[in-house]
Amino acid sequence: MDPTLTDNQKRLLGAIFGRGAGDASGAVSRWLGRPVTVTVSAVKQVDLAEAAEILGPSDTLVAACPMELMGALTGQIILVFEDRSGLATVDLLLHQPIGTTTEWGELEQSAARETANIVGCAYLNSLAAHLPILESPSSSLAGGSLLPGPPGFRHEFAASLLEFALMDQAIRSDRLLVVNSTFAIEETRLDWSLLFVPSGASLEALHACLESA
Amino acid sequence: MPLTDKPGASEEMISVLIGRWAVASAPKLMRTLLGSCVGVVLYDRLGKIGGMAHIVLPSSRGSTDQPGKYADTAIPGLIEEMERTAGRKLRTRLSAKIFGGASMFQGGASIDIGRSNQTAVEQILADLGVAVIARDMGGETGRRLTFSTVTGIVAVRIPGGADYEL
Repeated sequence: MDPTLTDNQKRLLGAIFGRGAGDASGAVSRWLGRPVTVTVSAVKQVDLAEAAEILGPSDTLVAACPMELMGALTGQIILVFEDRSGLATVDLLLHQPIGTTTEWGELEQSAARETANIVGCAYLNSLAAHLPILESPSSSLAGGSLLPGPPGFRHEFAASLLEFALMDQAIRSDRLLVVNSTFAIEETRLDWSLLFVPSGASLEALHACLESA
Repeated sequence: MPLTDKPGASEEMISVLIGRWAVASAPKLMRTLLGSCVGVVLYDRLGKIGGMAHIVLPSSRGSTDQPGKYADTAIPGLIEEMERTAGRKLRTRLSAKIFGGASMFQGGASIDIGRSNQTAVEQILADLGVAVIARDMGGETGRRLTFSTVTGIVAVRIPGGADYEL
């Protein structure tokens, strides 16, 4: 089956993820102690080469906190910080001047993982409540839950990170689905991204269920 | 001479995207970023012609849409293009270096795919009579390759690690 989503299906997914972004905004605002807005910037189904550039230039060094997605949908949800932006986030959390933190030690990695945990859980709770495929009795995913695994921490090239995350889809399809959400504090965009990358099997399930939605 | 991040005026950098290949003559540099994919670097030392493929999966299963994506179509395609560039058969003069096949996610598809890609690439190169003279495979991090068509040396950078050359 070719799991290419139509524009309408992508719009529907975007609207659902928009609700998740709204809930994630509240959670991350409380965590950072500042108003943060999370926005779904893209629901993209693109070829491999385009997917590798979603986070910017391929050799950009990023700090990534991947969480394995388990339950009704499988795949990865990954909070990605451009390196300096991630270190600045640690400074915010530790109430110290921006620029104080210069490397990813144990404490810094722990702060990044906790941020990912808070954002990811808020997002997934909202998705679980609003994804019609989890509510429809006719859906193969009906009644399922969305569970995040514990966040990891990786320092990685942007393109390599995406290659790892998208491999499961690439086995099944030439068109890869990525939902990207971006973050801003008081109108200033942060160089963070929250990526939702379903597995190949979940992409096919999403496609089938959205087709009948 | 170590390879640097910034090519000189005479060293044009060619980026090889995922699922593609490229061929170039000296003094050009070629670069790619790998995760669980496998990078195949072929070099004709006499003619100073280089080729690089960024392979995603082992087998095309007959598909012809994206030959650069699969080991069984990318490697023969890369060699053909190198031979067109050289204007002669090169197979007996080529050497290969292979990289990548890392796995970041525990239990993910990339573990098996990395291994399958390596097995397929090595078998295809052996069948074509191309010797593999260096391997840098596996691990848990991505790799950035920079290949000099002047020297045949591939510089490898991994995030947070020391650079090295093969």
